[in-house]
Amino acid sequence: MTAFLALVLAPLFSGSVKWLKARLTHREGLSPLMEYRNLIKLWRKVWIAPHPTTPLFLLGPILALLGTLGALALLPILPGPTFKGDFLLALYLLGLGRFFPMLAALDAGSSFGAQGGYREGVVTVLAEPGTLMALAGAVLLGEGFSLSGLPELGVENSLVLLLALASLALGLLAEGARMPVDDPTTHLELTMIHEAQILDHSGPLLALYELAGSLKMLFYAGLMALLLPGFKPLVFLGVGVAWVLALAYLETYGVKLRYLRLPDFLSYNTLFGVLALLGAIWRF
Amino acid sequence: MSPLWTFLPLVLALLSAGTPWRFRGLSLFLGMTGLAWGVLGGMGWASGLGASYLYLFLLGALTLGLAPYLPAYLAHHPREAHLYGLLLPLFLASMAGVALASPGLGFLFLWEGMALLGYFLIALEGPNALAGARAFFLASRLSGAGLYLAFLGHGHVGADWVWAGLLLGFGVKAAVFPFHAWLPQAHPVAISPVSALLSGAMTKLGLLGLYQSRYWFGPPPPWVGWVLLLLGLLGAVYALVRGLGEEDLKGALAYSSVENLGLMLAALGAYLLKPMPVLLGAFFLHQVAHALFKGLLFLGAGALGERRISHLGGLFRKAPGLGALALWGMGVGAGLPPGPVFLAEWQLYQGFLQGPFLMPLAAGALALVGALALYFYVRLYGLAFLGLPRGEAALHWTQGMRLGLGVLAGLLLLLALVPGLVLDPLGVRTYPNGLLLILLGVLAGVFYRGLLRMPMRAYGTWDCGFQPLSPRMQPNGLGFAEPALRLFPFLRLQVGEHPRLEEPLAEVYPGVGRIYARLAAWVQTLQSGSLHLYLLLQLLTLVVVLGVVLL
Repeated sequence: MTAFLALVLAPLFSGSVKWLKARLTHREGLSPLMEYRNLIKLWRKVWIAPHPTTPLFLLGPILALLGTLGALALLPILPGPTFKGDFLLALYLLGLGRFFPMLAALDAGSSFGAQGGYREGVVTVLAEPGTLMALAGAVLLGEGFSLSGLPELGVENSLVLLLALASLALGLLAEGARMPVDDPTTHLELTMIHEAQILDHSGPLLALYELAGSLKMLFYAGLMALLLPGFKPLVFLGVGVAWVLALAYLETYGVKLRYLRLPDFLSYNTLFGVLALLGAIWRF
Repeated sequence: MSPLWTFLPLVLALLSAGTPWRFRGLSLFLGMTGLAWGVLGGMGWASGLGASYLYLFLLGALTLGLAPYLPAYLAHHPREAHLYGLLLPLFLASMAGVALASPGLGFLFLWEGMALLGYFLIALEGPNALAGARAFFLASRLSGAGLYLAFLGHGHVGADWVWAGLLLGFGVKAAVFPFHAWLPQAHPVAISPVSALLSGAMTKLGLLGLYQSRYWFGPPPPWVGWVLLLLGLLGAVYALVRGLGEEDLKGALAYSSVENLGLMLAALGAYLLKPMPVLLGAFFLHQVAHALFKGLLFLGAGALGERRISHLGGLFRKAPGLGALALWGMGVGAGLPPGPVFLAEWQLYQGFLQGPFLMPLAAGALALVGALALYFYVRLYGLAFLGLPRGEAALHWTQGMRLGLGVLAGLLLLLALVPGLVLDPLGVRTYPNGLLLILLGVLAGVFYRGLLRMPMRAYGTWDCGFQPLSPRMQPNGLGFAEPALRLFPFLRLQVGEHPRLEEPLAEVYPGVGRIYARLAAWVQTLQSGSLHLYLLLQLLTLVVVLGVVLL
């Protein structure tokens, strides 16, 4: 259920960020709804199969979308399947949606794709442990060892949950390929991460990638919404709006970090994760 | 289990080894024994007779994969084929014997026999394999020394010493950090079927030994669990990082074995600290999954004429079948969700997070291992099977090999669909993994067919319009790994004409060898030929024996 909701909202989300960014730089900007039309346009286009490709070239975008949708389906914002340990499966389904695009990028045989692939791999290595520990800390404070039993931000668990939220926020920037980790609008080979990976995909394949990209950010926003008190679908929308504002601000006034500085930046993600988990163990 | 029963496989193998071999006979023999062990193991495990039978099942599965594969593979090794035909069944039988044996002299005999046969099988490959075989031999000596300490000391020295001996004895065989260095040296140099058996089955017997020691020698002191947990996780991270810089395809697979064994050791360590069924589920499921997927990948690597990753590429288009099977194996190895390795890690996470004291932090290390494994297998698969071919790699991909790999891939699929086969006897429940696999497969298939039907245009890869792409523009093995290696400064990358990565712990075994030689030289002074010394020794022996008997 959550996956369907996210699927409907995802183009609006990324469209709004683009629109707000345009407004912030005093440009007219396209309507936030443009993203829907863009996806439909891409879906109708002819796609290009580069010469040395294999079936993996197609499996990349497909599994990027399916993995992210699978992860979203496990978020109990709207009723859906829930079981012990589902948060681990959700994070690893995102991993499935990362593995195949990395392979698809290598498949075309260009130096760009491979470059995007290993850069994405490094970002994952840096971001994954912190995100998992932060989520695990929150889950340990809740009941049933699952996402549906996550605690809501209150007085007694504020420290752990705030740390977890901070870690998840940094996780969103890293995994969603946003500033300051990555610049989603760059065309400069030196600074590309995610864009380099999907360079050879066009038409419907690109549409799948774009959809998967905004869905991935909604997954992290959904995780954060689960930790906040209130009626979940509304909180989810609220977190989404907050992220639109934050991303547009960050990408208008912020700069992309130099690639070699990423470990410094993402070490905060890990640090917050470790502290959240320690807090959950010692109950402070 | 009676000791006689444990020698039965060995006797059977010896009897049949005398018969004049044709490849087809060998294949039939392997297939029959594999099937028998598999059925026996599966039944024994399900009826709760003990963990030993699970290892029979493992051996059976690997043997079944080997049966059609071996004749096809050995056709390219005509000179040594007969020796392999003699040694392999003996090696398999000694491993089955070790799995069934109870502690005592019989166990030690089988254990040392297994090590010796393994040494011969590695050394048979030729002069290139000598260093690896020597490392294997020294590791076996170290392992034997630990076991003698434990088995002979049991009841005479404290539990701490017994368990230290067991950790050394079984741990070295299971490639515990920092004694793992023999594995990446020894496994890649052997022929692929032997690598598959060494990595898939033999290392697991060390884990079985550690698991059973709890019942043989009583509960361990608490430090054992922490040591296993810490060394296991440390070894897993270390092996993945070092393996990222490995140029040899089979070498990289061997490092991946060290990683997986590290996770299993950590699961066992956590289980010793807090006995939870999920940890046991992770321990056993990971072993079965690892044996199957690593067997699959090592056997698959045997089909390649070139093993340097930077010289491979584009193999998928040359052999789509091999590419698909390897993708399944490597996807499972990377710990992707519907795969059984993920299921094992999923349980390991739960065990860690519910563990005592600071154990939940181990989940962070496990997440790091997961992310690194993703990177590791993307590099292996992407550079070897995808992209433009970097050279004219020869390929020996025959019908028998297809069948052998197919058997292992099928068993792995069965395990992913019905993990309850391993987990139900332990009383561990999982989410419906088979359903997820089917759902993902069906949806991906629908999308795939839909996209293929859409308008498409074949074209060259985008090359920025300057000059056409050449295969050399793709990153090579070290180039792809370098950004990640930068994050882990304990490894020094040597760049230049021939960039390479050192294995800092490779010096462990030459060191062991030197100590061993010095000890031997010291003992040798006793045999100086001096009659007086011999008489003195006899007198001392007499005094000691009398002392022991009379007091």
